[in-house]
This record gives sequence, structure tokens and C-alpha cells, in this order.
Amino acid sequence: MAWLVVTLTWGLIRIAPGNFYSGEKKLPAAVEANIRAKYGLDKPWYTQYGMLMSNVVRGDFGDSLKNPDYSVNEMIAEHLPYSATIGVLAYILALVLGISAGTVAALKQNSGFDYGSMSAAILGLSVPNFVLGPLLVLVLSFWLYLLPPARWGGPSALIMPVVTLGVIYAAYIARLTRAGMLEILRSDYIRTARAKGLSETSVILRHAMRGGLIPVVSFTGPALAALLGGTVVVEKVFALPGLGNIFIQAVLNRDETVVLGIVAFLSILIMIFNLIVDVSYGFLDPRIRFE
Amino acid sequence: MQSDGRYFGKMNVPTGNVLRYVSGAEIESLDPQVSDGQPDARIFMALYEGLVEYDPKTLQPIPELAKSWEAGPRVDEFIFHLRDNAKWSDGSPITANDFVYSMRRGFQPDTLSRTANLGYVVKYAEAFNGGKVFVKKGDQFLLAKDFGGAEEAPAAPFGPETEFRKFIRSPERLTLPGDEKKRAKAIDANPQLKAAVDGAEFVPVTANDIGIEAVDRYTVRITLRQSAPYFLGLLAHQFFRLVPQQAISKYGRQWTRPENIVTCGPFRLKEYKRYDKLIVERDPNYWDAANVHLDRIEFYPVEELTTIVNLYKAGDVDAFLNHSVLAAWIDSIRKYKDEYMLFPEAAVSYYGINVTKPPFDNLKVRRAFDLAVDRVALSEYRKITQPLFDITPNKVFPDYDKARDKVGEEIRNEKKLTPDQWKNYFGFDPDQARKLLTEAGYPVQKNGDTYSCPSFPIDKVQLTFNTGESNKAIAEFVQSQWRQNLGITVPLQNMEFKTFLAFKDELQYPGFSQLLWSGDYMDPNTFLGLFYGQHNNGDTGWYDPKYDKMLDDANSELDPQKRYEMMARAEYYALDNCIIVPLTINATNWMKRPYVKGMYPNPGTLHPWKFVYIEHDPAKWDHDVQNIMDETDPIVAAELQQIKRTQQPTGPAE
Repeated sequence: MAWLVVTLTWGLIRIAPGNFYSGEKKLPAAVEANIRAKYGLDKPWYTQYGMLMSNVVRGDFGDSLKNPDYSVNEMIAEHLPYSATIGVLAYILALVLGISAGTVAALKQNSGFDYGSMSAAILGLSVPNFVLGPLLVLVLSFWLYLLPPARWGGPSALIMPVVTLGVIYAAYIARLTRAGMLEILRSDYIRTARAKGLSETSVILRHAMRGGLIPVVSFTGPALAALLGGTVVVEKVFALPGLGNIFIQAVLNRDETVVLGIVAFLSILIMIFNLIVDVSYGFLDPRIRFE
Repeated sequence: MQSDGRYFGKMNVPTGNVLRYVSGAEIESLDPQVSDGQPDARIFMALYEGLVEYDPKTLQPIPELAKSWEAGPRVDEFIFHLRDNAKWSDGSPITANDFVYSMRRGFQPDTLSRTANLGYVVKYAEAFNGGKVFVKKGDQFLLAKDFGGAEEAPAAPFGPETEFRKFIRSPERLTLPGDEKKRAKAIDANPQLKAAVDGAEFVPVTANDIGIEAVDRYTVRITLRQSAPYFLGLLAHQFFRLVPQQAISKYGRQWTRPENIVTCGPFRLKEYKRYDKLIVERDPNYWDAANVHLDRIEFYPVEELTTIVNLYKAGDVDAFLNHSVLAAWIDSIRKYKDEYMLFPEAAVSYYGINVTKPPFDNLKVRRAFDLAVDRVALSEYRKITQPLFDITPNKVFPDYDKARDKVGEEIRNEKKLTPDQWKNYFGFDPDQARKLLTEAGYPVQKNGDTYSCPSFPIDKVQLTFNTGESNKAIAEFVQSQWRQNLGITVPLQNMEFKTFLAFKDELQYPGFSQLLWSGDYMDPNTFLGLFYGQHNNGDTGWYDPKYDKMLDDANSELDPQKRYEMMARAEYYALDNCIIVPLTINATNWMKRPYVKGMYPNPGTLHPWKFVYIEHDPAKWDHDVQNIMDETDPIVAAELQQIKRTQQPTGPAE
């Protein structure tokens, strides 16, 4: 699967006009010839593909074409932590905010809180992150001079990117949680638990949640994948040195090795996520465990 | 945006001597001989030094590693006297051999330098970089002058007569391509050559053959293949800055990693996190460390224009690079007179015309489209540019402007035009435009207030540019000018940058394509050279040996003003061929806080960092920076004076 993705990506890069060494000013012909020879660009395309694949299979994506002092694996290792930090924090925020709002909304169905929080959720879903980000910057950086407008820094610099990234998922999760919880709360085993005299807290946390959260869990797979995409915009808006930013630059620079490396890495990552999600169903819902 | 009083946004006056600067795109490499970007250049200026440095205001060469120099009688040779107290950041001494090594390494083909062509005027540098070969028959080498090259007068004495000088000043040797197939092609094409190479041996041009010599421990002699008066100004470019042999021979390509790197500039590398920050600190081993004011510079690689200005507004950075304020914000930013820099640059934009595709192979058609654009109105609309009517921007090279005016007068008389006619000859003249287009066979019809030109083949014209807000704005403006004045609506086509470059390079575009050009050095030759040679950067398909000769002759002229006049003649010759539609001269368009001193809006936005300092006394802060180039900063002036004291007058040796 990953192999297919890498091959497709390679094909696309090769088809796209332009190359990594061109600029507005022409290269001296000799230099261009040297570059093409060094990177094997003068060989037929199937030879180049073969050379590439034999390395890729061993996990060797080579050096960045645009920044030859660095290897692709190094670049991924160096910049992944930034994206991962933002992504994980955003998802945690989304989970905490979404699950609590959704649960309370389900419990107090049709109350003011319910309508209010679900409307807020729709709003959160509709505002794209490239609008939300700059809006937050306007208010928090320039009207109130509270937070730095961009760049990686201490915790204060993380607040806006994480919120910008996480709000959409908080909204989704809130609605999913509410729907899931509403369904579970009506089910037999919850009535049983209540009838047994368990406290409401116990009913919710120990019994209802496990079932009610199944939609949230199945959402996690695609959400994490979408988060990866969302980080790209947030990283651009807030000038963060994350993998998304690097990826965009690599594409624009026609930095083939970096693009392939990141695509392969992300494909594998997504596949792992989905695997984890599938396994966790088993823990959450005993009914699934024995299928 | 709120109106924030005298200064823009929130100003955090630093207590120390640290400058926080947005440098633009993330740099490609810390190797000064490889990458060619402007953001890279600014960082190289902190880490590496050359024989000369840019003057902070004029960008003219001032002594750095070379404390003085002389030019040979024909300005095709230079001798540089290096100072004897310069050191690398690892403490080892800098000698003439370091410069020779750097040049040989820079021109080495597998260094893959993208700026090596700036040094091609050094004798045999181009041949070495191109992997060419000499032709040896017996123990004689074939000479270029026997196969169409120019006859050279014997060289007058200049410096010690070493073995190397005998070789390098001997008549130029013939060079042929190193690649066998290409070489065979060249040989077969020339019967005289074919006969001559019979039985000859092909000897590769090596690093030792290029015209750079260490005469002694602290003296360098450079031999050029032709007179090049602008060469001295070139030497401040990053390609000519010194690179450390001790690190390169030990670590190869990995020499620029922070744990391996060795530098020679006023600052050394402290911390480097890609896409986040690059921090340099004062190098105690630097020969002039006592005069370096800043303790540290923090370079932040940010490309998004709004983010750059936001960071400045929030007080998180002290200055940023050129072209960073969006056109929509100019009007509100302009009022911050103590901070906003709007000065002319040695950077222009044109629309190149593809002269190989009809109907633009017809001069009259080209002239028509050129005369139908009101450049003054365009720059008023753009706010951050000046109108451009020629190839070389005016107000950037004052002496050249004088020469050009003089030659312009001569040409006006030759063409028998009145001053009024001459005023708009290369300007805005819609009536003449319509007349020319009609004469070319595409009559322009008037319908009340508007024009139309139904016979014009609209499918054969397009305006291509690379995607970007300002590019689009300019394209739409010019399109409306053509519609208004000629009745032709030229279709617009935007392309992603690299795609666009390929499209232009192969001359695939019909009609017009955008050409942005910034000078590599402070001499009009860097603009006129755009159209020099067969496969030139102008991307118009125009090539004229007559134009090339005019430039060659000008560059052999020793008298600077006479040289400028000859170049002006060449410029008018090219303009007569109407291969471009000149549009705008860029303006610097950046900001710095008033407490940052020694940083000037010069035409390249290149700041020699040792002159920059933080002023802690508000009474001495910069006010009304419109006049900043005319004001004298006592600290910078004193430093410059001290540096220039060692320099002898340039020009022919006695």
C-alpha cells in the first residue's frame, strides 16, 4: 500500500514541470550538467525509478535535493516533534472539550446548555482554520497584546495554534459524543445499572462512556489523518517549523526526495493509527471483541 | 488596525545588543558558494568575509580581508594585499592560500555552485567550471586567437614576475568541451580546427590553471580574461567569500553542520534550527571583533508577508527584509516615518516579449504594445514601485544616469526628434501605438470612446506570470491598459513558479512573460547583461552579436564615464529593438525600529552586519528615515574611516 502511494507520488513529481535546481537566473550550462549527472537525472526514467525503489525499500530516502547537507530521514526526525506536539495537544484539547461538552449536552438534553453548545459546535465546524487562526491573532496579539503572533516559543506561543487546530475536532467530537451518549443512555444495560442503584457518576463514567465513545474512537482514525493536513495550514499561519511546512516547501521546491520521504512516512503513520483504532474497538465494546 | 502613536505596534526596546531580524525564506545551505538566494546572502554576510565588503550605504567595495589593492594598467589584473591578523573562527590564520583554495573550490564542477558564473571573467574559470580541455600538440598549446579569438597585446609588468604569471599572461589557450561527443561536434564543424587537432592531446583544465595566484603569504593576484572594471564590486558577493579548507577537506559536504562548521566573518554560528531560527554570535577570533557592535543576531526564516509584519508589530522582531509590506497596507504603514523604508532598488520588472513567435517578430507590433502602457499610472497604482522606462533602473547608478542622459541627447538628434517627441519615445504614447499597430497590418478602429482591433490574432498572444498577488495585480492593470488603448484584451495566464520558469526558458510562451531581475552587483552591466549571449536570461529569444560587441567594447574601456556612455549606447540599441516592456523599479519596502542603527535602505538591502548596533539613548534614535542616506552616523562613519585608511587609491599602478 505504501509502495503504491510512493510510486504514485513519484510519478506526479516527475510529471510536474520544473526541477529543484532552477531559479529565475539561469544556471551555467556546465553546472546544470553536473547537477543532472550527480543525481542520475540523465538516465532513463525506469532506471531512476529502480534506483529509487531499491533505496526506499531499505528506508533510505537519500538526502534532500534542495538542502543536500541533510538527509530526508533526518529532516523528518527533526521536524516531526513540532507537528506532533501541536497535533497531539490539539487532539487532547478536542477530546477534553468535545467529550465533556457532548456528555453534558446528552445528559441535559434540550436544555439551554445543549442548544448553546451544539450551536457553538456548528460554528466551530464551519469556520475554517485559516480564518480562525488570523482572527485569534488579531484579538489576542494585537488588540490585547497577550500572545505572540507567530513562531515557535514557550507555552504561550502554542496556545493559538493548538486552539486553531483543535476547535474543529472539538466540535465534531462534541456532536458525536452527544449522539453516542444519547443512544447509550437509552439502552438496556444503562437502565439496569441505574436500577441497581449505582451513582449517576458511576453510571456515566464506568458504563455509558465506553459505549458512547465508540463513534469518537472510530472518528479518531480519520481525524488524526485530517489533523496532519490541518497542521499544514496552522504551521504556515503561525510560522512553525513542523512537517507540514516542510512538506509544502518541498513540493514547491520540487524536492523529490523529501516529498517522497514524507509521503511514505505519513502513509505508514496513518495505517498504524487505523490499526490502533481497530484494536481499541475491542477494548471498548465487548460485543465486538469476540467477532 | 489601531493607530498606535508614533511607532508601529508595540515596541520592545532591547536592553542588550541583540538584533532580531526576519530574513525571509529558509536558507538552502550554509555553504556560501552553493546557494544563490537573497535571504542566504544576508546570513552569509554575517558568517563569511571576502577580500572586500559592501559599504553599508552605497554597496561599493570597501577593504575587508584585503587592506588595500591595485588594478593593473588595463584593469584586467588586480593585486590584493591581505591583512596579516585575520583568523578563522577556529583560531587558525587566514592567508592568501585560503583565498586561492576558495576560488578553486568554488569553480570546481562538483561543488555545484549556482553562482560560479559571476566569476567567469576570471581567466580560465569558465573553462574549468565547464570541464573543458586544452589542446596540446607536442609541447605547444593551441591558442584561441588562431581560431577566431581576439589578438591580445602583451601584458605590462604588474607585480612579481612568477612562473604562474608567465603562464597566465601568455596568449589565451584554446579550450574545447570535455565531453567527447560535444567536442567531436565542435571539431567537425570547423575544418581549420579539425586539421589542427589531428594528433593532438586533450589536457583537462585544472584548478591550478585559473587566474588566481597567491604571490606570497598575504598577497593575491587575480588575472581576468578581459578588462572588467566592475570586478571589484563583484568580489563582495558571497561566491567570493572564503570557505575553510580545514573543514571541507575533513568533512566534505557535511562541513556546514553546526558541529563541523568553521567561518571567517564577524559572527560565528551559535544555533541553527531549520525553519525556526538561526543564531549567530560575535566571533572573538574575528580580526575586527573590537568594532563589531552586536553580541548576537537572531535570524528568523518567515516567508508569509502578513506574519512578518505581525511579528514586527507585536515587538517580536526589530527589522525585516525587503518587499515585505503588502500593497494594501502601504498607506497605513507609510505614516510611520521613523521606521518605513521606501527607496529604489537595483531590481526591476519587465514583460519580456517572445520575439520568435509571430506576430511579435514584427518590431512595430512590439513597439505598439510597449507604447500603450502608462507606467507612471502603474506605479501610482502599485504604490511601492517607481516607473521604469529602460532596461537599467534610474536613480540607482547616478553616474550612469548622467551618461545615459548625454547619450540620449545624441540619439535624439540622430533620430531627428524634437525634445517633446523624445520624451515619450520610450514611454507612453497611445496614439503612436495605435498607428504602429495599424501599419503592422492590424488596424485599430475607434468606436466612440473605445477601441477595437478585430484583426489581431488573439490566440497568438498571452500574458504569462507566476502566481502571486502583486504579479496578478500588475498583469490585470497592464491588460486593461492594452484593452483601453489598443482595443485588445490579452488573455492572462498564471503559473506556479517552477512551471513558469520552464515555460519561459524554452520560449514556449506566446507574447509576454514576466521577468523580475535584481542586480548581482552594483553596475549597469548586471542589467544589460541580461540580453548578452545566445542563451541569455532575458528569455526573449533575442540575441544580437552587435549588442554583445557594444558591451564587450564598453567593458574594455578604462575611463569610467566613457564606459558608461558606451553602455548607454548599447542600452538604447536594445531598447530600439523593443524586446521588453519595461514596467517598474522595485522599492525596498521594509521596516526597522528606530533604535537599530547602521542599517541602510541601499539598493540591494544588504547589510554588512558589523556596522549595525542598538542605540539605547532615545535621543539618538533614527527620525524621519527619508533622509537617512544623507545623514552621517558618527559611529558608522568612524568605523568606515578606520577601515578605509588602509586602502590605497584604486586605478592603474604608477
